[in-house]
Amino acid sequence: MKKIILFLVLLLPLFYLLATVQSANDPIKYIFTCTGLSAIVILMISLAIAPLKKVINLLKYRRMVGLFAFFYAFLHFINFYVLDAELDFAFVIKETLDKPFVYLGMISFVILLFMAITSTKKLFAKFNKYHKAVYLVLILVTIHSSMAQKVLSSLEYAFILSVIVLLGIRVYKKYVMKETSNKI
Amino acid sequence: MYTLKQKNWKISENEITSENLFNKRRDFLKLGAAALVSSSVVAEKLAAVESVKRASLDFKKTLYGKDLELNSFDQASTYNNFYEFSLKKDAPAKLAHTLKPNPWDIEIHGEVQKPMHISLDDIVSSYPLEERIYRFRCVEGWSMVVPWIGVTLAHLIKKAKPTSKAKYVKFTTMLDPEMFPDQKRGLFGNIPYPYVEGLRIDEAMNDLTFMAVGMYGKILPNQNGAPIRLVVPWKYGFKSIKSIVSIELVEKEPLNTWKLINAREYGFYANVNPEVDHPRWSQAKERKLGSFFKNKTMMFNGYEEEVGHMYKNMDLRKYI
Repeated sequence: MKKIILFLVLLLPLFYLLATVQSANDPIKYIFTCTGLSAIVILMISLAIAPLKKVINLLKYRRMVGLFAFFYAFLHFINFYVLDAELDFAFVIKETLDKPFVYLGMISFVILLFMAITSTKKLFAKFNKYHKAVYLVLILVTIHSSMAQKVLSSLEYAFILSVIVLLGIRVYKKYVMKETSNKI
Repeated sequence: MYTLKQKNWKISENEITSENLFNKRRDFLKLGAAALVSSSVVAEKLAAVESVKRASLDFKKTLYGKDLELNSFDQASTYNNFYEFSLKKDAPAKLAHTLKPNPWDIEIHGEVQKPMHISLDDIVSSYPLEERIYRFRCVEGWSMVVPWIGVTLAHLIKKAKPTSKAKYVKFTTMLDPEMFPDQKRGLFGNIPYPYVEGLRIDEAMNDLTFMAVGMYGKILPNQNGAPIRLVVPWKYGFKSIKSIVSIELVEKEPLNTWKLINAREYGFYANVNPEVDHPRWSQAKERKLGSFFKNKTMMFNGYEEEVGHMYKNMDLRKYI
């Protein structure tokens, strides 16, 4: 039951996008914004599950949440390739090599793709150590989303703050808590 | 006894909805739907409904852009970059009711023989207004086609008789935190205020350079830069400064707001150029508002014939 509710909640951004895109003034930009924000927020939620496990234990569903983040990133990429670049593969390659804004997004997408493919039980056992790359993705997509704006708004500052908190908790646990336990 | 038998489909006069009310039924439904969301949304919707009522203008039509396919008034008036109100493009239409476009004076001063103040009423009543349909291309990659109403900038500037020292024109937007909420935020504002733009004198005197007081047959909606704004159709939209209070003729190139914010990405010239990309995105194509498909961007936004000669010997990669 919990799983179905979570599944439907994670689909809400897609339904919202489908319901509103027809009336958007700048549809391609609108799809970028909706899918991009969904991907980044859901990625952050997936990374908040472990630190929050004592408050609400969703560890069982972390894979599903992560796959949803990839799903929205995939729609974001498809929007770039199909509608924005109009299937011009050479243009996509040129832009990716040329522009930091684009390659930060592309590197993140490739890492998420790798993580999605290796998220099955069997492959995860073998590749899970590489899934630490998600922290790199978190940093890159936050820069990428900030670069999509002409000037930063409170939303981008909120993302930056969230990244600091999410990474800070892990650094604290790994180094500071370890040190104190060593002393004891 | 005689009784007048009413047909059973007949309804009494006082049950009939007046035509006026009937015509407002959609607004009413929208408001009803909005009420479900929140009362602040209702206030915004009401403001949006209010701002639709605009005074008509007398103007003559021209041949400029007569073959272009117009964007709708709705598109042009609900997709606005007006950072004095908000960073969001749909917000100015809801927030701009705080802008009081009347009365309004523009000062023309600096390197001129006859410094002057012109009121908006002067411009609307004593100049022959014309309609020009121009392409409008934003540096962000979207575009639209808008029928502007106004006078050429040359028309206004000539009145003040520029001196030989007048090499550039500096434009300034109104600074009034009561009218523009973001101007209240000081250092935390979206951008530094007041907004400043500039043109070289030959660009300013070019026949295409236009001062708009209206669009789509009526006065400008507040969110589009009421009561008077610049329109420079061959340059990216941020050059077309809104709600202008000062036109100053100067000797040195003025520092425009976007160049001040980020000189690596935005320059003084900002000519539309499909071959020179923004550092973060391509400028080769554009998204016309309302379309899922892209169009090729044209050199100088399609006005190369009229303006190309002004940039003959300039490196357009350097002078962005």
